[in-house]
Amino acid sequence: MTNQPSSPRRRGSTTPGDSDAAICVDSRLRGNDVANISQPHRLTSGGLIDRASSLTFSFDGRSYRGHAGDTLASALLANGVRLVGRSFKYHRPRGILTAGPEEPNALVELRAGARREPNTRATTAELYDGLAATSQNRWPSLRFDLLAVNSLIAPVLSAGFYYKTFMWPASFWEKVYEPLIRRAAGLGRASGQADPDIYEKAFLHCDVLVVGGGPAGLMAALAAGRTGARVVLCDEDFRLGGRLIADDRVVANRGSAEWVGGIEAELAALSNVRILSRTTVVGVYDGGTYSALERVNDHVAEPPEHEPRQRLWRIFAKRCILAAGAIERPLVFGDNDRPGVMLAGAVRTYLNRYAVAPGRRAVVFGTGDEATQTIADMARAGIEVQAVVDPRARVPNRIEAAAKAAGARLFGGGAVLRAHGTMSVQAVDIKTASGETATIDCDLVCVSGGWSPTVHLTSHLGGRPVWDETIAAFVPGALPKGMTVAGAAGGRLALAQALETGARGGLDAAADCGFSGQPVELPNVDRESTAMTPLWRVRGSRGKAFVDYQNDVRDEDVALAGHEGFRAVEHLKRYTTLGMASDQGKTSNLNGLALMAEFTAKTIPQTGTTTFRPPFSPVAIGAIAGLHRGKAFRPTRLPPSHRWAQEQGAVFVEAGHWLRAQWFPKRGETDWLASVSREVTTVRSSVGVCDVSTLGKIDLQGSDAAELLNRLYTNTWTTLGVGRARYGLMLREDGFVLDDGTTSRLAADRFIVTTTTANAAKVLQHMEFCHQWLWPELDVQFVSVSEQWAQFSVAGPRSREVLRRIVDPEHDITNSAFPYLAAGELTIMGGIRARLFRISYSGELAYEVAVPAGHGEALIRRIMEAGREFGIAPYGTEALGVMRIEKGHVAGNEINGQTTARDLGLGKMMSTRKDYVGRVMAQRAGLVAADRPALVGLKPVDRSEQLRAGAHFIAEGAEPVARNDQGHMTSVAFSPALGHWIGLGLLAGGPSRHGERVRAYDPVRGGDVLVEVCDVVFYDAAGERLRG
Amino acid sequence: MGDDATLCVSALDGFAAAGRHGRRTGDPGVIVSEVRDVGLATTTARSGQQPALIERARAAFGVELPAAPRRVEGRDIAFVWSGPDQWLACRCPAPATGMEAHLATAFAGCASIVDQSHARTILRATGPRIRDALAKGLAIDLHPRAFTSGHAAVTAVSHIGVYIWQIDDLPTYELCVPRGYAQSFWHWLAASAAEFGLEFVDARGPRAGSLQIESLRLDRDVG
Repeated sequence: MTNQPSSPRRRGSTTPGDSDAAICVDSRLRGNDVANISQPHRLTSGGLIDRASSLTFSFDGRSYRGHAGDTLASALLANGVRLVGRSFKYHRPRGILTAGPEEPNALVELRAGARREPNTRATTAELYDGLAATSQNRWPSLRFDLLAVNSLIAPVLSAGFYYKTFMWPASFWEKVYEPLIRRAAGLGRASGQADPDIYEKAFLHCDVLVVGGGPAGLMAALAAGRTGARVVLCDEDFRLGGRLIADDRVVANRGSAEWVGGIEAELAALSNVRILSRTTVVGVYDGGTYSALERVNDHVAEPPEHEPRQRLWRIFAKRCILAAGAIERPLVFGDNDRPGVMLAGAVRTYLNRYAVAPGRRAVVFGTGDEATQTIADMARAGIEVQAVVDPRARVPNRIEAAAKAAGARLFGGGAVLRAHGTMSVQAVDIKTASGETATIDCDLVCVSGGWSPTVHLTSHLGGRPVWDETIAAFVPGALPKGMTVAGAAGGRLALAQALETGARGGLDAAADCGFSGQPVELPNVDRESTAMTPLWRVRGSRGKAFVDYQNDVRDEDVALAGHEGFRAVEHLKRYTTLGMASDQGKTSNLNGLALMAEFTAKTIPQTGTTTFRPPFSPVAIGAIAGLHRGKAFRPTRLPPSHRWAQEQGAVFVEAGHWLRAQWFPKRGETDWLASVSREVTTVRSSVGVCDVSTLGKIDLQGSDAAELLNRLYTNTWTTLGVGRARYGLMLREDGFVLDDGTTSRLAADRFIVTTTTANAAKVLQHMEFCHQWLWPELDVQFVSVSEQWAQFSVAGPRSREVLRRIVDPEHDITNSAFPYLAAGELTIMGGIRARLFRISYSGELAYEVAVPAGHGEALIRRIMEAGREFGIAPYGTEALGVMRIEKGHVAGNEINGQTTARDLGLGKMMSTRKDYVGRVMAQRAGLVAADRPALVGLKPVDRSEQLRAGAHFIAEGAEPVARNDQGHMTSVAFSPALGHWIGLGLLAGGPSRHGERVRAYDPVRGGDVLVEVCDVVFYDAAGERLRG
Repeated sequence: MGDDATLCVSALDGFAAAGRHGRRTGDPGVIVSEVRDVGLATTTARSGQQPALIERARAAFGVELPAAPRRVEGRDIAFVWSGPDQWLACRCPAPATGMEAHLATAFAGCASIVDQSHARTILRATGPRIRDALAKGLAIDLHPRAFTSGHAAVTAVSHIGVYIWQIDDLPTYELCVPRGYAQSFWHWLAASAAEFGLEFVDARGPRAGSLQIESLRLDRDVG
């Protein structure tokens, strides 16, 4: 790690505050090291920190110093800061409980401005120069928090309080109760601004994924790596080693941290091993898929330019070794949440890894032999161990000896009843084996209720953990396919076991992937005992005994849930919120279950566990989105004329992925309707051009091509001549309309099928299904050519004249040579291969001309040039829509998946002389009922009134309620030709009601217009214009 | 014939600027050029004609059409497997007569040939960090143990369908995307390669791209 240059934030004063949360400085801790003057709790030697570096950071606006290698938590403790937050519900003062990702208390807001990030665990936030953190959930200040009054009314804030209190009236919930509760109980604030950083996703493939870089994970990675298998080692921490760098152990006759360095160097040298530090595997999914969050640049103030802040990996692994370690449990006694009550393992981590003494006078309260390590580590660091409390009736000799060596009083068979002090623990009451109470002054209480294996990932696919009596914890049950467990995660808490199971697991996993190698020689380790007897709560304790710190759930809340019948673990969780929130109960779940078991007189395995689901730890939404933000949320598909349309100042609209020109405002036009009406009028009176490249185009070939079309479409295709186009209608198997479009025959065995823009993929899929599964015997080959062709509709009475200037002179496009519904291949613009179709959507004389897409931009420019003398207007999707409504053509609003050909007035297209997809089902009684809503035209009786799509039809005089509903308006447009609004709609009884009047009732937008039912064709009913 | 070169525009023209994108210091980690003036055609065996098609391809172009996702090179042409009984024929430069006419003689009666020359944008991408950049969108394994020269895949990047094939062991890949999505694809590629530095080599003319990439290659040891 490099020492960052000082930031401007580093102002004059770096002396520590005189906060009374800071503890007196003991000379043995500080020595005479002047450099440490700002860090009174920093030990003079040891630790894996870079003492040469000096990083300045701030907490609640106050400036402090730390070192590279610190976390925010270790740096705060080094500076004597132990009050770091207020609790969720009661606003109790809270300190640092852990030294890792399981931290429930020390949640802070990190950074400022748009980068402000709430609920960051101080125990995992890596210190950097200029880091600015703020405490949460307090007002006006951390030390004086008005809402701490909640603590006084704790009796009414018990489990289920919200459910019981805020029930009535229901209308109050959204407007009153919820905002109130959120303000009172919220943790942290989001920045409310767009995140300025880059997040990305990436894929990674390997043979063996090792989750966790502690002793088991390191051995697994080494054993697998040496075989040549592709290995990925993910470690959540910024430094490999796990407990090996947190505890002071002897491995291979060296200090454990030093031994880790050697292994890390070998792994780094193996090209087939990839180490991902700062990476948490957060989820397990089917087929050996894992998700992992890499905090690429969370440890710097701002990511370097072009680098992501975080990266979400999707890892595909043939085998996985879970070596995620274990999480230590707190003990449940009175006021066990006072700052200074800390997990024993965390105390050792601060001492050994960070060279920080979290206190000066300590009490050790633990249920296992591991307390010897805690006592020894503290004694060596100069912490006075005042008392050792071991609730076991028979205290092992090793504990006795350790206590004696440290000069501590031993309370065998005793328990801590209560911690005293508010902002910091000052003393504890200890119940002795004989039932007396002793009060011992202290500023640090090291607690350990044993270790719970980190089984979470084994449960993501449904595996249930099983109870292991010897360690009094759940261990993995049925494992996800391909996963094995090593070390403490599997309940093997001793270091030697971790190394052994890791090495074996790594070798076996590699072997499963086809790689073999020699077993890794296991290093000798110092002796230890992991024996323990669980103590789930201290009976007779006074004060509030917290089970779940993050949710302020006390032992009484668990008891209350039991009394009120919420005895199933999942009910317990929801009723008390135990195990919820950002830590998901990593330190509290088992204690909670054990209490519920006790209160319901069941065993813990009978009580069971709640389900662990991904993610293992919180993942920012930004990381899940990756690069898919803003317009890149989904891809944009651009038609060939896009650049030209941009030059014209077109307004664009999204149509699926496509971006299409919606209209082309002319200088001075501010009203969209004015632009659209001008475009329509120009087409109807002269000529216009529109990019229709977005329509689906499918090239269909083969000797059975016409036969395939016959079976897909309702109408007949075998009769279509070469060089001709025809409108076609396709049904789904259930008889409803799937899509429509024109299909042209280019050769006896070649057709071009067109689809609507929206259904291009669906129609191709339908064709593939029909060919592959229904009629594989047909000789047909088809492929999408939607992207190959730029296609423009040139429409209007002058369109032929425009085309004449573009089509090469040798091709005759006169009305007789190239009549309505002609189609053919020719050349344009001096030899460019093109296709010309005489088809019309607007009802005018019209052509569609297609060229290979790369020529599309040149073609639109040439069309505009050729049409200049006719006043040609480019037109967009709005004008296209107006003209099709004027002509009564159906589109997506009508082909909505609920309409039949008959509903749409296209019943005559349903051939009775052949079979086709959907024919039989379309004859179902309900689909041919006379009163089904069918397509009609509509115009306002008062021609000045505007129509709105979505309005429902109600008979005149009828009450506007659902049972009187007669259908709805599907499409509306202002017709410039008629000078009033027109509409299409699906009305019960359909065309039989021409001439009637109904209400178009639109309660959502306050519309209620009397409309006249008419024919769907509003313009050129005889259809003469398109044949001209 | 029309003047193809002057009238034809790439979907990236005016959008993806030649030169350096992302990190500006040091050598580029990713080097990209557009493969222009390429002829493409979807070639699908007619019913029952697959053996005949394979035989004709062998005779006319000296290639063995693959039955798995592979790319094979023949005389002045390459074929990429793109589905059962289907291959994408690639020829650079595009034949003046068009791909359909170019293949018609060889494959008449045993394959349906559909010109797709303008339907795709093809980017050639190499550089020491190319795999790391592609891993930000391609879910497939590009490690040399899994994917090597001549291998091809039909997959997706950032919701965009993409064909990818490897053309040498540097490695160099060609990424073939629908023309309409070219800008979105470029946006993804440039963003994904930004931290490594991306050099976009202007590849006007059929050979310029590959020649410039060759010259860039000489400057560094990209084993």
